[in-house]
Amino acid sequence: MILSLIVLIPLIFAALTLLTKTKEQARGMALVATVAVLILTLYMYFNFDSTIATNQFEEMYQWVPSLGITYHLGVDGIAMPLILLNAIVLPFLILYTWNDDRKAPNKFYALILATEGAAIGVFAALDFFLFYIFWELTLIPLFFMVSIWGGPNKHHASIKFFIYTHVASLVMLLGIFGLYFAAWDATGVPNLDIPYLLSQFQFIESGLMKDLIFLALLFGFIVKLPVVPFHSWQPDAYTEAPTAGSVLFVMLKIGGYGIFKIMLPLLPFTASPDLMITILAALGAVSIIYGAFVALSQRDLKRMIVYSSVSHMGYVTLGAAGLVSLSVSGAMFQQFSHGLIMSVMFMASGVINAATGTRIINDLGGLAQKMPKLAVIMVLTFMASLGLPGLTGFVAEVSVLSGTFVNLPVYVMIALLAIVITAAYHLWALQRAMFGVFNEKLGTIVDINSYQTLSMGLIAMLILYFGLNPSPVLDMMLTNSENIISLMAAMGV
Amino acid sequence: MMDLMLLAPELTLAVTGLAVLLIGLFLPVGSKKILGFIASIGVLAALALTVTSLGTEAMMFNDTLSIDALSQFFKIVFLVVALLFTIASIKYMEGNKNAEEFFSLGLFATIGMMFVASANDLMVLFVAFELASLATYALAGFEKTNQKSLEASMKYFMIGSLSAALLLFGISFIYGMTGTTNIPAIAENAAGLVTNPIGIVAVILLIAGFGFKIALVPFHMWAPDTYQGSPSVVSSLLAAGSKKMGIVAAFKVFIVALIALQVEWQTVFAILAVVTMTYGNVVAVTQTSVKRMLAYSSLAQAGYISMAFVVLTPLALSGGILYALSHGFMKAGAFIATAAVVYMVLSENKDTEDPDHLDNFRGLGRRMPITALSMTIFVFALAGIPLTAGFTSKFVLFSSTIQAGFVWLAVIAILNSALSLYYYAKIVKYMYFLPTDADKVSEPLPYTIALVIAVIGVLAIGFWPEPFSYWAMEAAKVLIPGGI
Repeated sequence: MILSLIVLIPLIFAALTLLTKTKEQARGMALVATVAVLILTLYMYFNFDSTIATNQFEEMYQWVPSLGITYHLGVDGIAMPLILLNAIVLPFLILYTWNDDRKAPNKFYALILATEGAAIGVFAALDFFLFYIFWELTLIPLFFMVSIWGGPNKHHASIKFFIYTHVASLVMLLGIFGLYFAAWDATGVPNLDIPYLLSQFQFIESGLMKDLIFLALLFGFIVKLPVVPFHSWQPDAYTEAPTAGSVLFVMLKIGGYGIFKIMLPLLPFTASPDLMITILAALGAVSIIYGAFVALSQRDLKRMIVYSSVSHMGYVTLGAAGLVSLSVSGAMFQQFSHGLIMSVMFMASGVINAATGTRIINDLGGLAQKMPKLAVIMVLTFMASLGLPGLTGFVAEVSVLSGTFVNLPVYVMIALLAIVITAAYHLWALQRAMFGVFNEKLGTIVDINSYQTLSMGLIAMLILYFGLNPSPVLDMMLTNSENIISLMAAMGV
Repeated sequence: MMDLMLLAPELTLAVTGLAVLLIGLFLPVGSKKILGFIASIGVLAALALTVTSLGTEAMMFNDTLSIDALSQFFKIVFLVVALLFTIASIKYMEGNKNAEEFFSLGLFATIGMMFVASANDLMVLFVAFELASLATYALAGFEKTNQKSLEASMKYFMIGSLSAALLLFGISFIYGMTGTTNIPAIAENAAGLVTNPIGIVAVILLIAGFGFKIALVPFHMWAPDTYQGSPSVVSSLLAAGSKKMGIVAAFKVFIVALIALQVEWQTVFAILAVVTMTYGNVVAVTQTSVKRMLAYSSLAQAGYISMAFVVLTPLALSGGILYALSHGFMKAGAFIATAAVVYMVLSENKDTEDPDHLDNFRGLGRRMPITALSMTIFVFALAGIPLTAGFTSKFVLFSSTIQAGFVWLAVIAILNSALSLYYYAKIVKYMYFLPTDADKVSEPLPYTIALVIAVIGVLAIGFWPEPFSYWAMEAAKVLIPGGI
């Protein structure tokens, strides 16, 4: 019941928020809903057994029995941290936008809540039909979010995002169908249950079919993640989105989630696991280095952050391909860490844009003098993003790189190269935008307001906290990673 | 007497149609609004009678009519579309002195479609087909002073007559070879058809005849002009209703009567399905008239449904049948939403050239919020976004295609489906994101009621597919006895 509440509260409140008339009512509604989700999620988290890798808080009702569709929810150590991430960041996101003046605040907050409900729905779903519904449902609020409140290129960006990821979802759907019917033919009973279908994959006889199913599912996930070369929707969509939309985009960790939850359990049973591992690792390494290089050349601060995201998402597939529990759990942790870091970075670029009217790095300069509070938070976050020890980014990257090195040293060497570049563009951007002589052309500038300080500051504190003490989330990731790895070992992969 | 009871829905409609005609004669123009209410109540009564008789199975009139799960299902589809049509037309016909003809033609067309659904004999099927067609030819040209409407009607009539001739020609060959026009009897006596090349000729003629009605490429040329030129409420009846009539007729003729020639027509349908869905979607992308865009999207949807003829498993057939119902709600809804916009545009400026131009949808989200929201739901449903009828039926239909091993066909269909999202999203973009200075307008109640009914239908099948997919499977079992 608690999982249903966590999924349904944001969705129901989204509908209610739509009916509100004033900004005060809309943001109040949104805050109530997100805080309620946070409280329920914390309750769930504290009652979660991170020593076992099975699904907990399960709920199951029949939905369309003739097609084997159920309403089946449950969380394991892969889903729990991501639900936690969404639940933590969303109330802060509402606070961050507290004093914003924008048109149609009721729609704005309704879309935020709808995205939260849909995203958590993906993490909680244990039935492929339900999973796919939530998966597609995440598209619609974000499409509207970018289209209504986005930047100058919003129409192009939103349609591109919509079509691109919709195509990927449909290809993924083909993979789901393949899995579904292979099991249906074998047993004579239709069933779309995720754990059941994952366990049935090994009994498919045709090797080609297995590989096709695997690749179709993988395509859906890596486009969503995204990794190079399937990333091109992302820079446009993330950059054109309003700050809240960009934060929602990075909260949507469903691509990486799919890789851990669905691809890795299938991997050992494909006809050519080695090829699949190579694909994952190559995609990861290329993304890491490509994203870093492109980020280095960006003039727009937000676009630089977006490309750093491409680079950082590469760690997710690389770590997954590493196939030791350290690398896999590190990759999972990268998702969690990236969500925290990116949300603050996007918020920071949003306030800079609002205060100065520009995001072009060279046009800024010396902002720290006028915006000291922002400067502190930004420096901390940028350090986390470039992987400074003591912050979450470091934990993730070190685990991925050192774990993956065992099996795939060459790819790690490529990725290591990117670390230097990553440090370079982060520091360079900080130095040019925040420090040095204040650019007088920017006019009078005031520091971030107390709501923004509170929201960004608290998330930054969490980056520090989980950087020093990752075990509250890392433990459950490790349990699940070990489970996956032992399965692989049993299969001789 | 028992037989007549089984025809209660059709008789109700016939009585209503005649009553509307008669009452209309005595009413002044100002009071003819009541005719629309009478017609709607008649359709609602027929719908209620059909729903209560679900599960009945009977043969009537020397086995020429069959009441079974399939015919019941399609009767419900036609009645739902007719209901949306009559309700929406209340506003459209306001102040029109020919309202009684309009409504009675709509009702008679529906009776024709319902008889096609029950037909168990090719002659009955043909006559019912023509009853529906003749009524819709007249409806398409109802705006006598509108050049486009006349052109729509003329094209539709000419090509419709040609297809009727081809159909009859094909039927005559079948009769000649098998000595019967009874559909199950043809299947039993198919030996002659299989061995004689005449069988192939008959198949070609029938595919061409039905292809016209279903608007499969290359028999589609009339459809975009007719859908665009006809009054929008009539387009909803044509696209959502009479096209389904072609589909149920084709189900009966090919899958039941001509199953012996399966190999021949299956290949043709495979090619037609792929060409139709791709052509429809590609051309729809470039349209600026919303009705034309919906017409091309309607081709695409017909292409998807035709996949059922290729895959031919019970699950695929039930997918195709379910798709017909979903499409009825989605397409009728989309045309009625367009009708509301056209109505608004014309009431503001009588001389507008293209009242259904995309530009007129600008800012609709603010101007007509209910219409815009309904339209959004319909086009997302047509694109196959989850929790709508469009997704449920695509899920069943496409997945059955994979199950049967036609992966290439499913891939083409899915890519097409993704492409279609582009132009559907364009409508949403115009409605919500492009600004307009125009003021908010009050939304005409009849259109709104029709839209709400269609939205409920689209969402009901999306959220709670079980009863619908069950009915569709029951209906599919009629086509393939021994079933699932």
